[in-house]
Amino acid sequence: MKRTLSLVLCALLLVSLLGTSLAEKKDWEIVVVPKDASNPWFVHMKTGVDEYAQKHGVNAYQKGTAEIDATLQAQLIADLIAQGVDAICVVPVNPESLEPVLKQAMDAGIVVIAHEGATLTNVHYDIEAFSNEQYGAFIMDNLAEAMGEEGLYTTMVAHVTNASHNEWADGGVAHQKAVYPKMTLLEAEPRVESEDNGDVAYNKAKELFKKYPDLKGIMGTSSYDAPGIARAIEELGLVGKVFTSGTGLPLANKAILESGIVKSLTLWDSALAGQAMVSLALKVLNGEEITAPVDLGVDGYMALTFKPGSDKVLEGQGWVVINKENVDSFGF
Amino acid sequence: MNKGLKKLTKRNEPYIFLVVLALALLIQFRSGQFFTGNNLVDIASAMVVPGLFAVGTFMVILSGGIDVSFPALASLTSYATTKMLLDAGYTGGIWLPILISLSLGAALGAFNGYFIGFLGLPALIVTLGTSSVFKGVMQGALNSVQLATIPPGMQAFGTSSLFVASNPLSGLTSRMPVAFLVFASVLLVSFLILRYTFLGRGIYAIGGNEVSAHRAGFNTRRTKFLLYVFVGMMASLAGLIRTCMMQQNHPTNMLGMEMNIIAGVVLGGTAITGGTGSLTGCMLGTLLIVIVENSMILIGIPTIWKSVFVGALIIIGTGVSAWQVFRANRVAKVRFFRKEVPTI
Repeated sequence: MKRTLSLVLCALLLVSLLGTSLAEKKDWEIVVVPKDASNPWFVHMKTGVDEYAQKHGVNAYQKGTAEIDATLQAQLIADLIAQGVDAICVVPVNPESLEPVLKQAMDAGIVVIAHEGATLTNVHYDIEAFSNEQYGAFIMDNLAEAMGEEGLYTTMVAHVTNASHNEWADGGVAHQKAVYPKMTLLEAEPRVESEDNGDVAYNKAKELFKKYPDLKGIMGTSSYDAPGIARAIEELGLVGKVFTSGTGLPLANKAILESGIVKSLTLWDSALAGQAMVSLALKVLNGEEITAPVDLGVDGYMALTFKPGSDKVLEGQGWVVINKENVDSFGF
Repeated sequence: MNKGLKKLTKRNEPYIFLVVLALALLIQFRSGQFFTGNNLVDIASAMVVPGLFAVGTFMVILSGGIDVSFPALASLTSYATTKMLLDAGYTGGIWLPILISLSLGAALGAFNGYFIGFLGLPALIVTLGTSSVFKGVMQGALNSVQLATIPPGMQAFGTSSLFVASNPLSGLTSRMPVAFLVFASVLLVSFLILRYTFLGRGIYAIGGNEVSAHRAGFNTRRTKFLLYVFVGMMASLAGLIRTCMMQQNHPTNMLGMEMNIIAGVVLGGTAITGGTGSLTGCMLGTLLIVIVENSMILIGIPTIWKSVFVGALIIIGTGVSAWQVFRANRVAKVRFFRKEVPTI
């Protein structure tokens, strides 16, 4: 009696296990792991992912740790591997420290997509919102528009040793030389440092405007640059005569955009980046071949191309412009 | 040489003043912009926050201690104050924010003061520790993020000006912030404390020799405790002013300021071992650092060489004062052997 009972129970257990695993395969489970769950940037990413999941009927959701911590992020991914999800899309806190756990994920047959992790090797693909060079050109377009496409300008980076900022600035300068012949780079001071500090950006801008009265524009790169420069423009009484543009977060810069000190800032949209990751994960899961240009059906990610020399890093055109009209639409 | 001048050459301040003057002339020569109304106002305005920090650091070093926690303390108190008032929808004036940050600063300063004064632990270790704790509380418990807006009262205080200096040639205008008055009054209060109160004399005495100070009747524990409370309050005030002037609160961007502030204080002739130094020297040293940091472009130093130049200036500045002290000591020794009474 006991034996039959236990056999029946075992059989039931097996059937239920099979049942669940069969059910799972009908619907891919895609998890987006941001750097943390509370940062407004990633809260916005979550709204994008949720929207995509609902619109396309995909079982995709975002799950983040309570705080930005590389170890916690690795643990979360290990948990997801144990759960047997189908794809993990990750924005790494620290790419290097994530490699071992991502390798485990790939060994377990999970599709791994990264965002802002171009140095990762244990991924199927990494999506970058844009190539640094093209983003720099985009900032330059915004600056040129504000400056009326003429006049003397210079560039500001956090540190001259910062790779991405300097690639943006180089890209911007190259674009100016190619497209805006009436603009000139301030040769005596072609690149100044803001040390990723709004107060330093402000003081440097004041110095620049004092020393070079002809200076008409500053291209910012770090998100502290343009706001700091704007403060200097306002205080020195140069509104409407001198201009700046650069990376900036919408809400933090609402005041300077609405008052017209700064006409436009540039950024990429975390919600769209989240959607692009999920979309790419779906493509890989469905066994589609990924060949450039890749169309993910997400704004700014319609024609991704591989970064030169890489078969993993895909670059989009995912920049957005922020001006007084759309500044309230981001939620961060 | 008359006695007054002789006395002056033995002091440190005139040499620092000369270095500042030489630098000013160099900037004027290179850019033609130093001695313009708006540039001088810019420097005065850039001096407010480092100046407040320097006064506190000066008093701590004078007592033979050291404080590396003040940027973290200022970040924490200014963040907490701003966040609290924002959440409460505060629309009043600047006095309540000042009061809140002063009390928070006093409490955190007391924390430092308790460990250093009453438990007698080494100041460097304690403040390194509390610096981490303050940062941790801010980033962990308070979950700090950049605050893009600040209460209207603080905003108004940050943009209000005593007067506006304009440069007739370039048409550039610079605001002298009202916050400069706060800095000036703190300077005055500190001067009075150091000069005329028992607490102030106690700080000098402890810095000279703690045991002797204790035997001479100074309550060294209480003096140290009160000192760190006072310094905590000054740092928190600086943090609040910084937030008001920037019109937003970046929780992390004051961190790391301690090195240049300490350099400025030591540059001004304050002995790192404590006991000697003057407020004038401390301000001149800080002024030198502020000018250097805010004039690299005016002088025309390429960005990549900036750090080298700043470092070199600090070494030259301290070198001048060190040489001066060395010379004074040698003269004093010679006099001693000749059985003359040194006139210091």
